[in-house]
Amino acid sequence: MLQREVEIINRLGLHARASARLTQVASQFKSGVWITRNGRRVNAKSIMGVMMLAAAKGSTVVIETEGPDEEEAMGAITGLFATCFGEDD
Amino acid sequence: MSCTLHGTGVSGGIAIGRAHLVSHAKLEVAHYLVPLHQVAEESARFEAAIYQVRAELEELRAEIPATAPPEFTAFINLHLMILSDATLSVVPRQVIENEQCNAEWALRVQMDALLAQFDEIEDEYLRERKADVIQVVERVMKALSGQPGYIPPPTRDDAEQNLILVARDLSPADVVQFKQHQFASFVTDLGGTTSHTAVVARSLAIPSIVALHRARQLVREAELVIVDGAQGVLIVDPDDQVLAEYRRRQHEFEIGRQKLKRLRDRPAVTLDGVPVDLQANIELPADVIEARENGAAGIGLFRSEFLFLNRPDLPDEDEQFEAYRKVTEDMGGMPVTIRTYDLGADQHADPGRVITNPALGLRAIRLCLTEPQRFVTQLRAMLRASHYGKINVLIPMLATAVELDQTLTLIEQAKRKLDDESVPYDRNIQVGGMIEVPAAALALDIFTRKLDFLSIGTNDLIQYTLAIDRTDDTVAHLYDPLHPAVLNLLAHIIKSAAKSKTPVALCGEMAGDIVLTRLLLALGLRQYSMHSAHLLDVKQVILGTDLSKLRPLAQKMLRTPDPVKLRALLERINA
Repeated sequence: MLQREVEIINRLGLHARASARLTQVASQFKSGVWITRNGRRVNAKSIMGVMMLAAAKGSTVVIETEGPDEEEAMGAITGLFATCFGEDD
Repeated sequence: MSCTLHGTGVSGGIAIGRAHLVSHAKLEVAHYLVPLHQVAEESARFEAAIYQVRAELEELRAEIPATAPPEFTAFINLHLMILSDATLSVVPRQVIENEQCNAEWALRVQMDALLAQFDEIEDEYLRERKADVIQVVERVMKALSGQPGYIPPPTRDDAEQNLILVARDLSPADVVQFKQHQFASFVTDLGGTTSHTAVVARSLAIPSIVALHRARQLVREAELVIVDGAQGVLIVDPDDQVLAEYRRRQHEFEIGRQKLKRLRDRPAVTLDGVPVDLQANIELPADVIEARENGAAGIGLFRSEFLFLNRPDLPDEDEQFEAYRKVTEDMGGMPVTIRTYDLGADQHADPGRVITNPALGLRAIRLCLTEPQRFVTQLRAMLRASHYGKINVLIPMLATAVELDQTLTLIEQAKRKLDDESVPYDRNIQVGGMIEVPAAALALDIFTRKLDFLSIGTNDLIQYTLAIDRTDDTVAHLYDPLHPAVLNLLAHIIKSAAKSKTPVALCGEMAGDIVLTRLLLALGLRQYSMHSAHLLDVKQVILGTDLSKLRPLAQKMLRTPDPVKLRALLERINA
């Protein structure tokens, strides 16, 4: 299992569209993907879970991946955070 | 499950009947149990609705033109993902199976649970994303409603008069719809004594309880319930002994009511010979029947905005004219005071607009003056109808001299236009103003100088004076007609109006409250307008009142700040 901490840097935080993008990407992998914030751990493949994480700009979350493609999954997910989910802001 | 719930009784009497769970919002749905052998079918019905909505969204996405901004596709993708999320596509099916309930209810319960989690989110922007969840749920609800579902079989005594409506809250629009039916009672989880539910229940003279908080959760569809409107008690699934006792009380109440009917044609005069004018408040032309049955001496308040509710279009001049003429003719020459539409705030026909402080916002005359065309249409309809009887025009929520002058100018213009068209109207038509804003009450001269009469709207006057939202049950208990500020304002209005020889009526809930009838009389009020259901009760009090003895007590009340002493004085007045 891999674990990494990332900071939310995009302006609106994990808002609906960013959550959707995250969920889509996470769902492409066989591995389980979880995100934890403030002790709340959600399945990153569930849009509802990700939206309810309520991760605003400046908050940090812990990403976990576990499974046959856990490294690729971790790379893709952390990449999303680093690039502000492909947003322009 | 037998249980007893306590709320605020807002309309007396006892109703015994079957619960019918309803509410006004699109997403408020009925709850009913599904027979065990149909649970699988119900679950499949839910699944089919999810499939249908998925197909709809995919179709929408396919139709997006390539030139559209990418947000469009992202938005639909988001909704598709929410739809497919196990919390919406799987959990409700488990609820259906575990609770044997209908699909709509299961979806609603699950949505509430999700939204409650959203509400805990601190970040405002992220919290508001729950709107997307609601939109998706709405689509599924719509799909469910379009499919043949399990319809609960009518129980033996399922006639409307035995149905007790259990709702979260009722809007004025719901109420108009419900008036076409004959329910035995309304009970709601929200609301205070002057909420719309309460006002309407009293106007229909049916028992009603508000602020029950959990009735919609604890009462099941078609369950037997007893509503004791005087005590504010709701008894769910009573045993035989309790049922028998309440049937006896219900019978006694009816006998008392029959006795009152005999007072119908007696003039309302105090023991010492002071005549009092008792008129009725109505909302729709059909309410005239009840007003006449209860011996109303006129219509003191026709809330014309009810003609505007529950319809996508606005009634045109001819339609309004017919409604006003019908009321006037049905009242057979007695005066009919029509209030120009008092929309806005909580009653606006456009529910899509969110207003943070509706009671202080664009409503009533303020709204009328911003849309003069619609207002003039109504004024013309009223003027034309005045040819067929005695119509008075009443302007709601006046606060400033400018509003008054603008309104009077519009009325004059409407008259001149009718003159040009040679359309007949009553040239002596009287124009009056509602006194419901404290500013108007304190600067009454502005209005007595230019108006023919005044009408005190105590519901709003109290709400504005005490800064209490009367629809908010967390503060509704602070709403107090006996607050010294309210009593002194009322005394001031009545006295100032008398000094300028301007007739003044009182048309709020206070007018129909028999506990206050004598106090108001003693303060100088001679014209009351109330729901027809109260007319005979109030008349009975007036017939037994010796006014000369009450004036000193009422004056003393105006000087008493202590609430306990105030109540003691009121008791002496009513003794």
